[in-house]
Amino acid sequence: MKRRSFLKGTLATGAAAIAVNAGLLTPSTVLADWNSKAFNAKTTDDALNALYGASNATTSGDVVLKAPAIAENGAVTPVTVDASGITGVESITILASKNPIPLVCEYTFGAAAVGYVSTRIKMGQTMDVIAVVNAGGKLLKAEQEVKVTIGGCGG
Amino acid sequence: MSINIRMRGASKGGVAEIKALIKHPMESGVRMDQKTGKPFPAKYIDILTVAVNGTTAIDAQWSGAISANPYVAIQVKANAGDEITITLSDNTGEKGTESLKLK
Repeated sequence: MKRRSFLKGTLATGAAAIAVNAGLLTPSTVLADWNSKAFNAKTTDDALNALYGASNATTSGDVVLKAPAIAENGAVTPVTVDASGITGVESITILASKNPIPLVCEYTFGAAAVGYVSTRIKMGQTMDVIAVVNAGGKLLKAEQEVKVTIGGCGG
Repeated sequence: MSINIRMRGASKGGVAEIKALIKHPMESGVRMDQKTGKPFPAKYIDILTVAVNGTTAIDAQWSGAISANPYVAIQVKANAGDEITITLSDNTGEKGTESLKLK
């Protein structure tokens, strides 16, 4: 009995080790820690560098960014990013260029997800909303200016 | 006290759109209290995950720039009968979770 359970145990850990070696379980999917470096960044470029190690995203028509041209209330600006036309979307990031913390949110996608995010964000003043899509290591983006008549960050 | 989440969703052609409304102040820690001249202490949801039948499909990180009482819509590949679970936690350690079986 002892010998059997011992064998079982070694088999299980062996399989896990092989999975890690094969790159099936990357540390980012196992550990979902809040990326404080990216969220402490003061500029959009710094935030992108902290997330992806690069900030040179190319503008792409496949990244569909829906945001209002004029937001009456900056505290609730509806933003939708649809990247379902791109294959292999790994993550979608939404940035608000002039916010004190430009990085608004970052969504990382697994195999069962579709590259689509819709949410409501706060904007302190008129600025650009930037959607960055990471697909197979390539950074694609879409930008749109949103005019804010009432700021959404207090004061 | 756990965070209150209301969610809805329906599967259509293998893709399910999940919509969720979360009850949370989303205080960024930047907003100033006019009376004291000090910022309101930060309290915002920073991690949100969406799982399909127990397997994580979406892993999101938020800053305090998501609007108060957040609305989220996402899409996952799932069919009727699949269970969708949203799990989240805020920067003070408060947690919330809600599940839904697709029809």
